[in-house]
Amino acid sequence: MTKPLEVLLLDDEPIVGRRLKPALDKIGCRVEVFQSPTEAAARIDEKEFDIVVTDIRMEEMDGIQVLEHVQKTWPRTKVIMITGYAKVDLAREAMGKGVFDFIAKPFKPADLRRIIFRAAEALGSPIDSSLLNDEPVAQ
Amino acid sequence: MDLHITDIEDPDINYSNEPANIPLHRRPSISIRAKIAISFSLFFILSFTVTGWSYWILTRLENKIEFLEIADNYMVEIQQARRFEKNYLLYSTDLEDALGHLKTADEILTQNSEKIETILGRDHFATMVSYMTKYHGQLVLLGRAENDAEKELVVPKLRQFGSQMVSFAGEFVEKEQNSATRMFLLAKRVPLYFMGALFVLMVFVFTFLTRQLLLTLNRFMDYTIRIGEGDFSPITPARKYRDEFTKLAEAFNHMIKELDHKHNVLLESHKLRAIGTLVAGVAHELNNPLNNTLLTASMLTEDFHTLSDDEKIEMVNDVIGETERAQRVVKNLLDFAREGETEMTPLEIDKIVEDSTRLVVNQVKFAKVDLKLDCETNLPKIHGDEQKLKQVFVNLILNAVDVLPPGGEIRIHVKKDKSRGYVLVTVTDNGPGIPEHIQGRIFEPFFTTKSQAKGTGLGLSVSRGIIKKIGGYIHLTSSPGQGTTFTVSLPATESPSEIMSK
Repeated sequence: MTKPLEVLLLDDEPIVGRRLKPALDKIGCRVEVFQSPTEAAARIDEKEFDIVVTDIRMEEMDGIQVLEHVQKTWPRTKVIMITGYAKVDLAREAMGKGVFDFIAKPFKPADLRRIIFRAAEALGSPIDSSLLNDEPVAQ
Repeated sequence: MDLHITDIEDPDINYSNEPANIPLHRRPSISIRAKIAISFSLFFILSFTVTGWSYWILTRLENKIEFLEIADNYMVEIQQARRFEKNYLLYSTDLEDALGHLKTADEILTQNSEKIETILGRDHFATMVSYMTKYHGQLVLLGRAENDAEKELVVPKLRQFGSQMVSFAGEFVEKEQNSATRMFLLAKRVPLYFMGALFVLMVFVFTFLTRQLLLTLNRFMDYTIRIGEGDFSPITPARKYRDEFTKLAEAFNHMIKELDHKHNVLLESHKLRAIGTLVAGVAHELNNPLNNTLLTASMLTEDFHTLSDDEKIEMVNDVIGETERAQRVVKNLLDFAREGETEMTPLEIDKIVEDSTRLVVNQVKFAKVDLKLDCETNLPKIHGDEQKLKQVFVNLILNAVDVLPPGGEIRIHVKKDKSRGYVLVTVTDNGPGIPEHIQGRIFEPFFTTKSQAKGTGLGLSVSRGIIKKIGGYIHLTSSPGQGTTFTVSLPATESPSEIMSK
């Protein structure tokens, strides 16, 4: 088994972290969940994550600031942004700043997994795609 | 003199049947035209009277002067007659001379009998004639006397009648002369009195008319100011009668009705704009519970067989909770957007302000601005339209958000104004403030400091219209660099003690 992907998940909605942590654990990620951007930033200073998933709209600090913070310390880290609703100017700004991809609320856990899978490939440590196909049992 | 009560109906423009104009119409009509006509009639009647009187008195003077001339001639003739009588007695001259003069005097009287009669009156004229006849009789007796003894018998009576005749005529001449002098004096003075009366009347009419016109014009000026500020209540009668101004008031009421209608259209379009702004925030606000529901439901199906019952229940409860959250968001927006007539109901102001802050919570969050709400307890209720009041507060908060840099603060304070029976809502920001030269124009429609895309310039003018309509006030205090405070004063419908007792 390859080294697990280190993922930091930041969203001010607690349910998002509660549901996505087990969803990402399944595909071999080690997930740390944060609701406060400042706490997340402090943790980023301590540790290099492979992937940072962050909400754009938050109090204290927004997603763009988190992106800049990550890139300053860890240029290799892929940043994925969650948006409440698509706003072209924000997306353009983030793209220009080198965000890996966007995912718009509402989304399914599988949607995020697919993006993480691509990010892992881009990082050179791909995830076993069979894990990705582990779609809901009911289907 | 009767009042000129005229009908000032104009078949072309007639607003008098409109409901707002019925009280205006239910008064007697005294038109300005009638008032002016009355004034001119008064002047005319006064002038006519004075002219007529002058004509009369001058005619009388003319008669008197004529009489005096006749009387003078008569006096000369009878005095001559008496002189010749004396000459006859003393020097035995011819008595015919005396009789001749007396005859001439008699002719004067008969020729002018009518004129003299009008002035002396019939009785006095008769007395005058009888004195003369008696004297004439004695004079004839004297002429027939043969000797001195016979003459001596006639002389006393002759002298008695002669002097009576002369003194009676003299008295009358003197009396008439005095009366003529008095008449002259009066004829000289009356034009002066007339001038004085005319002056007083003119001053009175002038002040009366100008006062009436100016006061009414001033009142109409106040109406325009009131209407300009958004008070669209109809003009009510201020006087006890109707005139041309009533027509103007009716036209005003018609205009007010039209303005009110246009104002409501404006209000609706402004609300639509506010809804547009809010929807952007609400979409985000909805996406969060939707996302939470989708993630939770997805994971529940995915891990259905591995999850414990407690975990499943927790997830289902999360789904319920998030759905309710979405419902609240939608309901709040729908409450705001609901179309409808103005409904005046007793309202809890703190709830209205709280709902308004909830509507804009996302705009506030996105702008990274801090919003604090502070409500006093036991606030009296206010009377108003819930939706429209929310529109005012949403507008005030969004305005503040627009001017604030990230990290700015908005403080909303709801409190009682005990002394005046009002509830005050203050919305304070610590933004750049409003320059003094703009403050006066800020409530004007279409005045805006924002770019074309961001603002219509209707927000504050519409807000003021809404607040005025329920009898409240809105004003601002601001100084550059110190931020801005908008204060909305709303009349309370109940005293706080009534609320306490509930």
